[in-house]
Amino acid sequence: MPRRVASHPILGKMEEKQEIEFEFEGQRLKALKGDTIASALIDNGIDIFGFTDSGKPRGFFCAIGKCSSCLVIVNGVPNIRACITLVENGMKVERQKGKGNPVW
Amino acid sequence: MVKKVQALVIGAGPAGLCGAIAIAESGVDVLVVDEGIKPGGQLPKQTHKFFGHEGFFASTRGFEIGEILYQKAIDLGVKFQMKTTVSGIYEDGIVVYERDNEKAYDINADFLLIATGASERFISFKKNFLPGVYGAGAVQTLMNQYRVLPGQDFLIVGAGNIGLIVAYQLLQAGANVKAIVEASDKVGGYLVHANKVKRMGVPILLKHTIVEAIGEEKVRGAVISEVDERFKPIKGTEKELVVDTICLAVGLQPSVELAAQAGAKIEYIPELGGYVPFRDENMKTSVDNVYIAGDLASIEEASTAMIEGYIAGYNIAQKITGKDLSEKINKMKKELEEFRKGPFSTKVRNGLKKFGVNFPEGGFRTEKQENTGPTGKLRVKIECPQNIPCNPCETSCPTGAISVGGNINGIPHVDYEKCIGCGVCVMKCPGLAIFLIQEQEKYSIIGIPYEFELPEINEKVLLQNKNGEIVGEGEVEKVVRNNRGKTHIVFLKIPKGLENEVRHFSKISLEDEEIVCRCEEVTRSKIEEAIDNGFTDFEELRRYLRISMGPCGGRVCRLQTLSIISMKTGIPISELEPGRFRPPTIPIPFKAIIKGDEENEI
Repeated sequence: MPRRVASHPILGKMEEKQEIEFEFEGQRLKALKGDTIASALIDNGIDIFGFTDSGKPRGFFCAIGKCSSCLVIVNGVPNIRACITLVENGMKVERQKGKGNPVW
Repeated sequence: MVKKVQALVIGAGPAGLCGAIAIAESGVDVLVVDEGIKPGGQLPKQTHKFFGHEGFFASTRGFEIGEILYQKAIDLGVKFQMKTTVSGIYEDGIVVYERDNEKAYDINADFLLIATGASERFISFKKNFLPGVYGAGAVQTLMNQYRVLPGQDFLIVGAGNIGLIVAYQLLQAGANVKAIVEASDKVGGYLVHANKVKRMGVPILLKHTIVEAIGEEKVRGAVISEVDERFKPIKGTEKELVVDTICLAVGLQPSVELAAQAGAKIEYIPELGGYVPFRDENMKTSVDNVYIAGDLASIEEASTAMIEGYIAGYNIAQKITGKDLSEKINKMKKELEEFRKGPFSTKVRNGLKKFGVNFPEGGFRTEKQENTGPTGKLRVKIECPQNIPCNPCETSCPTGAISVGGNINGIPHVDYEKCIGCGVCVMKCPGLAIFLIQEQEKYSIIGIPYEFELPEINEKVLLQNKNGEIVGEGEVEKVVRNNRGKTHIVFLKIPKGLENEVRHFSKISLEDEEIVCRCEEVTRSKIEEAIDNGFTDFEELRRYLRISMGPCGGRVCRLQTLSIISMKTGIPISELEPGRFRPPTIPIPFKAIIKGDEENEI
């Protein structure tokens, strides 16, 4: 199970951060201000960020914007990299399938 | 929209930051773009102390180095544009995309320093796509920057420096590392890094690899197996590990896309990490105004990335301003030469030779010190057997007792006449490879560098050897706190003769594991303590400790408790009061009682 590293021998106690709420697949979840969408999802125990075209579950891999494994739909816009996008209050996040059928 | 700058730096990691600093020192206007949220590249997630020398922040932790460099750049007037991706480099301009404003536009730059770093390599094994298979860097980002530990039980694939460092950092974050598997027959990273995790009991399985991730929707385990000399898994040697996260630390590959688009000649040089841009000794690519630095140029350390950044930056500044900066450039080149003389730079030296860039090797001390100093004196024992470019032990010693023998890659030796056992080097050593030892009359003292939750003074602890095996019991004598550096020293009293064995310790669990009453979790020691306090009757113990008041009604614990009373008091069980046998024999739901009552009423 995922959990916050509340105290750390080098980094010390985790600083107090404002709690925010966002939506994932219609479910209301909590996050801390400063979380990326990815860190917020993983903290909530969500490992499946989306699915490949053939339906395989797709998770988190590189965390620095390079691998494109974490693409999600944010407020209706597909192909948002969950690893380098901060989560915001009221944000609506959905799992993306394949390329996400972007609308032009 | 077109933006014009004299110098554009792509990437705000150690190479890009130092490049920008070097350019800005001459008053040239510099813009740094990076797609990350915070500057520093991969520095903000590095919680360990860096190797090298203090000129390049040895003994300082990575995340602190990132902050220092960023501040320095800001002070020099460097402009930063974060959350901005360079989407392409074309003949007539560089197209950047600002995520926050959802805006793409052109930048025209007279000079370009590309420091795009590297990305994690991915390897093939069954079900490698499952969520829960992470790159090592991703685990670091999550736990150290966002303070989210993605799992509890980890398997690490790869015993290079990154795999070893991540294993140690996972332990610091409170996770379990079930094993590190490494396909080759030796640890690729520094032995001092390996020793840090080995003494904590993490097995490093050489000639092993992962063959399968287990799970349907996410990782629930892993299958590992031995490999033959051609790295092929050997059938029949498979083992299953219960892990929830698999962490791949199988190397990095340079992110060459933008350099290639800028027209730089790209070549395949495996020693440098795969496809890399050609560059000369000044970090200039095949294109006159395009320079590179850091992992993009060759997969190496942050220290060399910083130096390369300076070399590239000063060259760019020299071209833009026309000022002669050769003194600064040559100083940095000398630094790089120093760093790259050792065996861990062999690959990079060989790779660079293919570009006609030559770095000399050797010229450092290789002899290990046999003398371990005068018995009975409090003194250091340095366990740093490899030629790695690092010297904080030497530069931090207040009495000049430690020397690496000239070149930074030399093996440190101690002058035991001068060593006063102060422990400064123990706190400074990035490899946590220096210990303090003193033989005393009845026991010996060992001082261990320690970066975990500190024990109490006089606390009894289990002593662990270099492989993490328990070799005896000891006691905490004192703790020297290092609030700034965070590497503390824990002094232990240990049995004589174990001075060269004990390298770590673990707390003795204060929880008594011997349960008598399973329902209420009452332990044998609690019962014995209560009897000592005068509760010698079963009914008294029941009321005091809740023994036999759980759902089993005492069927499991009654006789055991009576036998403990009997042992302690000397009264035979047959003469003890057995206590009452109260109903209900099993708990029954209220609903059932009500239902029965209602039916009665009808």
